[in-house]
Amino acid sequence: MVPVRANRSGLAVIILAAVFAAAGCTTTFERQWTEAEQLRLEAAAAGAEWLQTEALLDQARDQAAEGDMDAAWELVDKARFQSEAAVRQAEYESTAWQNRVIK
Amino acid sequence: MKNYAALLLLGLAPLLSLAGPEEDREAFVEYYQARFPDVPFAEFANGIYAIDEDARRQWQDIEEFPPYEFAIEQGESLWHETMPDEAKLADCFAQPVADIRPAYPRFDAGRGEVVTLALAINHCRQAHRLPALPYDSDELISITAYLAYAARGKPVATRVPADEPGALAAYEDGKRFYYSKRGQLNFACADCHVTSVGLHVRADRLSASLGHTTHFPVYRSKLGAVISLHQRFFGCVRDVRAKPFALQSKEFRNLEYFLSYMGNGLEFNGPGARK
Repeated sequence: MVPVRANRSGLAVIILAAVFAAAGCTTTFERQWTEAEQLRLEAAAAGAEWLQTEALLDQARDQAAEGDMDAAWELVDKARFQSEAAVRQAEYESTAWQNRVIK
Repeated sequence: MKNYAALLLLGLAPLLSLAGPEEDREAFVEYYQARFPDVPFAEFANGIYAIDEDARRQWQDIEEFPPYEFAIEQGESLWHETMPDEAKLADCFAQPVADIRPAYPRFDAGRGEVVTLALAINHCRQAHRLPALPYDSDELISITAYLAYAARGKPVATRVPADEPGALAAYEDGKRFYYSKRGQLNFACADCHVTSVGLHVRADRLSASLGHTTHFPVYRSKLGAVISLHQRFFGCVRDVRAKPFALQSKEFRNLEYFLSYMGNGLEFNGPGARK
């Protein structure tokens, strides 16, 4: 199921990037949002996405659309932190899990 | 020379930790029997009721009028329904009804994946021109409840065929899932059900994973509904704040495969009843 979600989200990234590009408004926020979304997809591909990351990014986009950029930045930063942590968690667990196996 | 030997051992260390399924199962059983020396092996099929006397007494009262009976009756009715081409679900299964539940999960070499009972039921429906049932639907869960009831007392005997590399890979994938930390809370299944087994999470005691698969589907009092094992997996993953996988996803099927193997030798006793 993750690849399906990843594909759908990947499409959203492409569409959003295209909309921004068409509007000629590739701002720092939009770039950061897209980077955070790509990190989320990386975590999802590793089967390690955290529960609320996607919702944080959705909320960030909504806040930006409403013009509340302070709230939007805060949400993107949280989402980015979560995705980076999830990727690091997956990398660490790729071997660490073996230390917990009952022997 | 000593340095080379040390390096060789270091290189082999990860391989040495990859015991086979039977060695894993024996260690699993020994661990829980050491933690709960007064609990007979067969009792672990009763989940939390094996180690929590108060909860056990409440459960025994609940079993006077089992809340899952309606699901069994509905499942039996659906089991005997005729599909559009006049076939019945039983026609898809080679075994007597009591032996169907114990035949799953199993590794299907042709499909190259673990097939669970719920998946097999949907494969059957689709082969007979019916749509697959949603994996959280009352209909599908009630059919599994009927088959679980029919299999009561049969031993769990999940197989990981040695001559089927795909089966061992699926088992290892489930094992890796079980022991891997995930989510914002950084918890593995094993953190609750191995390391902290018997301790409290709020008002609830944590059950042993030995026997986790024998009694599903279960009626959950707090939900007022019978739920599947994969719905329980979904809830656990969500509770550690990881994004859950879909019901009957490859991840959850492989986890079921691993846990079922760990429970080999216990008896099926589903459907169950839980808080």
